[in-house]
Amino acid sequence: MAVVDVHRFAESITCHAWSPDHSMVAFCPNNNEVHIYKSSQDQWERLHVLEKHDQIVSGIDWSSKSNKIVTVSHDRNSYVWSLEGGEWVPTLVILRLNRAALCVQWSPKENKFAVGSGAKTVCICYYEQENNWWVSKLIRKRHESSVTNVAWHPNNILLATTSTDGKCRVFSTFIKGVDTKDSKAGSPAESKFGEQIIQLDLSYSWAFGVKWSPSGNTLAYVGHSSMIYFVDDVGPSPLAQSVAFRDLPLRDVLFISEKMVIGVGYDSNPMVFAADDTGIWSFIRYIGEKKEVSSGSSYSSQFSEAFTKFYGQSKATTANEASESSKSRGGVHDNCINSIVPLSKAGSPKVMRFSTSGLDGKIAIWDLESMQEELGHQF
Amino acid sequence: MANPLRLYLACIKNTLEAAMCLQNFPCQEVERHNKPEVELKTSPELLLNPVLICRNEAEKCLIETSINSLRISLKVKQADELENILTKKFLRFLSMRAEAFQVLRRKPVQGYDISFLITNYHCEEMQKQKLIDFIIQFMEDIEKEISELKISVNTRGRLVATEFLKQFM
Repeated sequence: MAVVDVHRFAESITCHAWSPDHSMVAFCPNNNEVHIYKSSQDQWERLHVLEKHDQIVSGIDWSSKSNKIVTVSHDRNSYVWSLEGGEWVPTLVILRLNRAALCVQWSPKENKFAVGSGAKTVCICYYEQENNWWVSKLIRKRHESSVTNVAWHPNNILLATTSTDGKCRVFSTFIKGVDTKDSKAGSPAESKFGEQIIQLDLSYSWAFGVKWSPSGNTLAYVGHSSMIYFVDDVGPSPLAQSVAFRDLPLRDVLFISEKMVIGVGYDSNPMVFAADDTGIWSFIRYIGEKKEVSSGSSYSSQFSEAFTKFYGQSKATTANEASESSKSRGGVHDNCINSIVPLSKAGSPKVMRFSTSGLDGKIAIWDLESMQEELGHQF
Repeated sequence: MANPLRLYLACIKNTLEAAMCLQNFPCQEVERHNKPEVELKTSPELLLNPVLICRNEAEKCLIETSINSLRISLKVKQADELENILTKKFLRFLSMRAEAFQVLRRKPVQGYDISFLITNYHCEEMQKQKLIDFIIQFMEDIEKEISELKISVNTRGRLVATEFLKQFM
């Protein structure tokens, strides 16, 4: 198994984020607080508790260059925290939302961040030097339901969103004075703020977890109907692929490289998807090994089921049922995994380590180095 | 236990396993609210298609799912008047003590005998497998319980009648 470290921090974790040097982790223990832990000699030590929100914190992101933490919460507010003399100082961001904020992400250049909300809008926030505050601009009237996740394109302009109306949309977030014209190279010309570039209509159910590939050529998102969608050439003529798998739906995805994706979700075991040489995506395997064990036991129970049917022995059936019901899941996580965060070294195009957190309150760090041979050529 | 019942329960178990994929989801319509969507039904896009599993006309199970909650409604077999009244009284007794069961709904959905409401909070606190096992166990036990009650009522009736009729001997 490729797990390096597992630690149970709380009863339940909604989201987590890592400091730029990956020595500290910030997470929300399913309440209104954000805890920051530091690892020192195989021990986790609590350094700070950020208390400012008054409802559950739904999103955390830690910027790698400017060392700022942004948090959003169901109480409709967002705070940007900066470290000043050993203390985290909050700055309130007026999001101008009237419903809960659900997710947040810093843009690649870290001069903006995007917030998805239950008000069916997306807020793009940027810092205004002269007024010394964060200003929020809204993309309205595009989403028909709550925005569950947002993802920035590496060019710092395009933003992909997923929402519970099953759509995935891509917007331009060009803000005059914040973005310069030349950074728009590669994206369609003269796109104004809030302009919808594309609307992807692949899913029949709610869409969650969206990510761009490291180059920004491919977009991946997941649907609640146990499907994952890959979209190449985002623009006027996109190429879309849908991959269905047999297990429970996913919640979030992460690109390891251009050709490999890890998905996490209700099955509490990360799944690997990869594209072959012709660009066809498919499900490869689970990272954890729990599945082989449980499928084996279900085969044997099927057999004994037939056996008891044949001989009419009701006793064996009940015994079997008891053993089946107490079957533990046996993986690293025992409940839904709801977020996956890359732990990539600066300048490296491939993500070799990542961390997952779930409703079981554990944060697990996974290393792909040791799995390289098993995963084969796709790497 | 009879095999047909096992099949019925296995079907419910598998459906519940697939349906119990819940998450925290704040209300889209009312500010700062977080309520089970399956009860409010304010946004149709947040509800999934309900699943109805029938063993026969008298015994069925309705599973309604939404983004943050799940409702299971059961109709228990009632062959005669006595079973009917026993089921009604027994389930009323349980429903009145709904807090003790956490996932039990105080009032059944119309047309059903008893309902459970499972929210994302239950899924966070409890193991999903155990929750499903509880529902299945409950369904198994209720049948046993009712037939036991029926037998004891009959026995008692016979006993009382015998005692009563003794005086005329």
